[in-house]
Amino acid sequence: MKGLAATLAVPLFAGLALAPVGVQAADQEIPLTLEKNRFDPAEIKVKAGAPFVLVITNKDKSAEEFESKDLKIEKVIAGGKTVKVKVPALKAGTYKFVGEYHEATAQGRIIAE
Amino acid sequence: MGGTFLITLREAFEAALLLGVVYTYLDKIGARRHFGWVTLGGALGLAASIVMGVAVAYFSGPLVDLGPDVIAAAVIFLAVILLTWHAWWMQRHARGIRGEVERRIDQARSTQRLWMVGLIAFTGVFREGAETVIFLWGLMAEATSAAGWGSVAAGVAGVASAGLLGWIIFCGGRRLSLGRFFTVTTVLLIFLAAGLFSTGIGRLQSLGVLPMMTPLWDTSWLLSDSSVVGSFLAGLLGYRERPSPLEAAAHVAYLLVVGFVILGGAWRRPHSASAVRAGVSR
Repeated sequence: MKGLAATLAVPLFAGLALAPVGVQAADQEIPLTLEKNRFDPAEIKVKAGAPFVLVITNKDKSAEEFESKDLKIEKVIAGGKTVKVKVPALKAGTYKFVGEYHEATAQGRIIAE
Repeated sequence: MGGTFLITLREAFEAALLLGVVYTYLDKIGARRHFGWVTLGGALGLAASIVMGVAVAYFSGPLVDLGPDVIAAAVIFLAVILLTWHAWWMQRHARGIRGEVERRIDQARSTQRLWMVGLIAFTGVFREGAETVIFLWGLMAEATSAAGWGSVAAGVAGVASAGLLGWIIFCGGRRLSLGRFFTVTTVLLIFLAAGLFSTGIGRLQSLGVLPMMTPLWDTSWLLSDSSVVGSFLAGLLGYRERPSPLEAAAHVAYLLVVGFVILGGAWRRPHSASAVRAGVSR
């Protein structure tokens, strides 16, 4: 029983000790532009296991909703605005996203590796 | 243009559904004069949506980056609590309704805090309201041509159609007997709240409060959340095309626990009702 508690406690405390460091280190900012209802770049590569910030600029006049069912993110960006979206650490894999208001053209994906 | 119509219809559907249900509820318990609570709640929800929409459209910075997400998550959980409470309350009062309707209703009115239905209307409208405001606003900013104004008209028509659906629910609901209306609505609200609860859990995952996970399944090829049928099923039953294991677990757990607590009593009801009629108890 004691052994089990110790095994559980070690990663827990290690995690607590590491947490402030993770907060202090500024997350990488990745620019993403929306123009003429298309994302640029349409494919973003990130490091798996590291949180990052998407800096999404909507150059169109119309609003767009950045939506990713894979990331559970829905974020409205008014026309001509820039919004920062925090993305938690991802496991390796591909995560699709779309502009919900122009789904036919506004598509992209994040590849975590 | 058709896309614009569907987007606003989809965004406003849930609000229309909730407004339809709470108006019918008040009508059913003979509390029409309290319609003002629902109208006030809906109007405040609309006002809050416009304030938030303007804030997001005009300001930027960390507060606008994160604020709306945190507020959205809070509103979702508030709505879950309110709907659960309301469903539980209705089911409790649905029990003895047959036979002594009037007395029961008087009792209902005095024990149910009616401002609560106003709060339900508020959360219903505010939840997707800000998005709809920004979307329509963007369309208007873009509307320099006839086609542009056509899009605006389609967007407004989408909201109006959602309102019409709410009205149909209101008219249909009034035809049901009181007992049946309470039962149908209770089940509907439980499913609605279960879907919202799992959405809220998903939001917490994206905010980094809960861990991110790979989706449990992907049925986007079969039925997309963004299709008309898919979005209605998403609103009504909580259908998700790519749920995380946590979202799915939250949905099932909510249905099981709340469904059992609220409806568990209903299954036993026929026995106790016949017992009362036979004069065995009391």
